[in-house]
Amino acid sequence: MHIAPWFWFTLVVLGFWGACGILQKLSTNHISAASALIWLVVGYILLLPLLYPGKVLFHYSMQNIIWGLLSGFLSTLGSCGLYAALKSGGKASIVVPISAMYPLVVVVLAPLLLHESITLVQGCGVACALVAVALLST
Amino acid sequence: MAVKDTLRARWFWYSILCVVLWGPFMIASKLGSREIPAPTMQFLFTIGSLPILAGLVSVTRFRLEKNVRGIAYGTAAGILAGLGGVGLFAAYGTGGSTTVITAVSSLYPMVTVVLAVLILREHLTWVHVTGLVFAAVALILFSL
Repeated sequence: MHIAPWFWFTLVVLGFWGACGILQKLSTNHISAASALIWLVVGYILLLPLLYPGKVLFHYSMQNIIWGLLSGFLSTLGSCGLYAALKSGGKASIVVPISAMYPLVVVVLAPLLLHESITLVQGCGVACALVAVALLST
Repeated sequence: MAVKDTLRARWFWYSILCVVLWGPFMIASKLGSREIPAPTMQFLFTIGSLPILAGLVSVTRFRLEKNVRGIAYGTAAGILAGLGGVGLFAAYGTGGSTTVITAVSSLYPMVTVVLAVLILREHLTWVHVTGLVFAAVALILFSL
């Protein structure tokens, strides 16, 4: 059975982000959610020396560099939305599953912007994943 | 009435804002990853998040909480999230379906729930067990 390379990379994502969830939980036992977000970004910054690509960075197209910068901006701003929702009285058992529905936006945007389509089996997988995320986030 | 109240609640719209921002975050990640290698994408991602960090720090008026454990766990979470980000950009860089990669990577609460049972000795609820079953089915379908 051939398993696509992207699948192995996403398993890496699941491992690191899953463990990150535990640490965030432990962190917010001691400090506020807003502070936890600040220190989360500090953690990103600590990785910068390892990730610094050198002068080759300037060989990439400006458009793609902007996509990279925008991904960090949107992700962190989205996290602010999540923390603001929790701070303004939203119950974590409702707010977190709602926020976990972001793949739905990708389901809509990917065919429009990236001209990608998915198979029926993959569509069933996406539906199962959305149900799973909603249940696991409660 | 309950729906009306929810639609009027500020927390609901903040939650929607989160969804609306994280969807395009994934699209931007895919677009950048087509040319730029994963570690460099994570480098740019971090630089892109700095304006938000500056905003957050100024909102708190530079009064950061000084609980060492909270800071250590929070910073360690950032390191792991950053390493996971490299994995995400690498997955997008392979040219696989954006929708599928996003859906699989969004299953990370599955690992959190399992680790919470193993490390924090939390109890699994039936809702979580059902969620794990759906996650397993999703992973099997994606691996076909």
